[in-house]
Amino acid sequence: MIAAIMKKELLQLKRDPRLAALIVVMPLLLLLLFGVALKLEPSNVRMAYLDEDQSIFSNLIKTGLWSDGYFQLYEVETRQDIVEDIRAGRARAGMHIAADFSALLAENQQPHVEFFVDGTMPSLATAMKYHSAGATGEGVTNDMYFSDADAPNVVIAEEPFIMDTTILFNPLEIETWYFLPGIIGVLLMQIALILTGITVVREREKHTLEQILVTPISKTAFIMGKLLPYVLIALIDFYFILGVGWVVFDLPQPPSHVLLFLLAAIYVVAMISLGLLISLFSQTQQQAMFIAIFIIIPSILLSGLIFPLEAIPQSVRYISYLIPFTYFVEIIRGLLIKQTQFVDLLASYAALSCFAVVFVAASIARFRKTL
Amino acid sequence: MVHPVLETVPPVTVEASSLSRRYGDRLVVDDFSVVIERGRIFGLLGPNAAGKTTTIRMLCGIIEPDAGEISIGGTDIAVAKRRIGYVAQRFGQYEELTVWENLRFYAEMYGVKDDALLQNLLARYSLERFRDQRAGTLSGGYQRRLGLVCAVAHDPDILFLDEPTAGIDPVTRKLLWDEFYELSARGKTLFITTHYMEEAQRCHQLAFIDRGKTVARGTPLTIRDSLGKVSVYSVELSFDPGVHRALRDVNAIMLINQFGSELRIMVDEDYPVAWLEEAISSVIGKAVPLTRSEPNLEDVFIALTLHGESAG
Repeated sequence: MIAAIMKKELLQLKRDPRLAALIVVMPLLLLLLFGVALKLEPSNVRMAYLDEDQSIFSNLIKTGLWSDGYFQLYEVETRQDIVEDIRAGRARAGMHIAADFSALLAENQQPHVEFFVDGTMPSLATAMKYHSAGATGEGVTNDMYFSDADAPNVVIAEEPFIMDTTILFNPLEIETWYFLPGIIGVLLMQIALILTGITVVREREKHTLEQILVTPISKTAFIMGKLLPYVLIALIDFYFILGVGWVVFDLPQPPSHVLLFLLAAIYVVAMISLGLLISLFSQTQQQAMFIAIFIIIPSILLSGLIFPLEAIPQSVRYISYLIPFTYFVEIIRGLLIKQTQFVDLLASYAALSCFAVVFVAASIARFRKTL
Repeated sequence: MVHPVLETVPPVTVEASSLSRRYGDRLVVDDFSVVIERGRIFGLLGPNAAGKTTTIRMLCGIIEPDAGEISIGGTDIAVAKRRIGYVAQRFGQYEELTVWENLRFYAEMYGVKDDALLQNLLARYSLERFRDQRAGTLSGGYQRRLGLVCAVAHDPDILFLDEPTAGIDPVTRKLLWDEFYELSARGKTLFITTHYMEEAQRCHQLAFIDRGKTVARGTPLTIRDSLGKVSVYSVELSFDPGVHRALRDVNAIMLINQFGSELRIMVDEDYPVAWLEEAISSVIGKAVPLTRSEPNLEDVFIALTLHGESAG
């Protein structure tokens, strides 16, 4: 009897070739993608610097940072610009070399170099602290000793200068701040995709769709009627989850609750309509579930939530930018942790809105008024 | 006597010409045409897989025909959707919703929000006592009634009913038919698919389709003539496999049909009855007088279907 059931299950699977394809092809694709994309070592991390010394010695430090390909340096005008650029997301790290750097160096007074790191990305912050060693490596410092051919080296300090690293925005390195804002988006994505992922395909399987199709309802009315209640539910859920984050984990407040609501609304519409789109493309509820899961997993891994975007090779990084969740992570970290200005989040808001519009439009276009 | 409603409602008819629909290699509906006058009950008769459901779905606009034209009350089906009601073969209401919630929902899809009217409809279809019961827990007969009441809530001019009484007990079937006649008398046009002869006989107009092809059309009376020159004989005789075997070898016999203790034989008109009697008595060992009888719709149905199979 067990054999009979087993055989029947296998036969049923065989009769759903799309599901079989999903089971085989999707994991393969994801494995290949993750194999290429998931790296812990970032490269070309944008670093804003201000070199007020402009000496051969300060140049040595910059070259040291350039040379291992880890940082991509660009110059800013003031020290404050360094912090603001990191807050805006234009840079992940920053460096300030003061005007008296070579003077102090000449006197063996161990000048300080300020190093700034974006503290909202856990692994990035740790990795960058480590990689700033490129600036203090022997290749750099060897040339900084003032040597006289006739006299022994006058070295007072073991290191010619000192690197002060400041972790910005999350100075205490509170771990919940790294992940929790993004996790809210993950939970919402799950809820949204699974709530609406089955909504149309279920009506198809239960034959209620057939009765709806004979009514004079328009495509837009059908899609909107399907979307709006779930948008509302997901929004309530967003604030419920975030509320728990505020109460239990002491998450910071955003500078503007309007911006936070805007983010929630756009993101929820994008996710709910994506779920609807999945439902419109699936033939069975099982297929819809699979597709939802295959969207959720890469969204989490490639969005910059856990692994920094800078660690994803340039060749596949565009995939990250095709994931709506990437922009959610960027914005919610900006709002809750970095207190980023709206103008600097505008591009991410716009990208997320585009996804929402495209998904809704695609749902309306995809919905057929025939069986 | 003309019902007063008839004079105010514009003449609405269903008209389809040369409808065809393919699924892969299979031609499911082949060149189907029909014209139905207002107030008529049209029956689309045919065995399973004849293409009845595909035809009715095309007429309702939820399956695109590959070829052919459909006009509902003189307009395109997309425009006429407000004027039609459709009950699919399979229960298509929401199981989680109550009877009342389902009815309200479908009525609202057509902009009908008159609770008193809906309440009357429930009473009319004997669904009042199930008003707050979830539709999924209703018995098959009441689910059918719910399907029907949801389809008529917006008072459509044309009703498309796909096997409305399949799997329904005879009493409920009769009640539903009383309702169909009532609707027809009020000037509504009904398009019904069925494979029940008893039901087909109740229709004003019939078309018989088999494997997508229309093999006969007309009234229940005229459709019997579609078989051509045949005679039907009957005899009181319990089932005897030997007799059936013997008769099966006779080429002129179009149909051998056992109804309990009655054996019905349809045969070419030219075939001598004595030869039939001879064939039967040689098996059972005694003389059997065959009486001539009229072919009924059931005979026609089976003969047409079997004939089509042997020809195809």
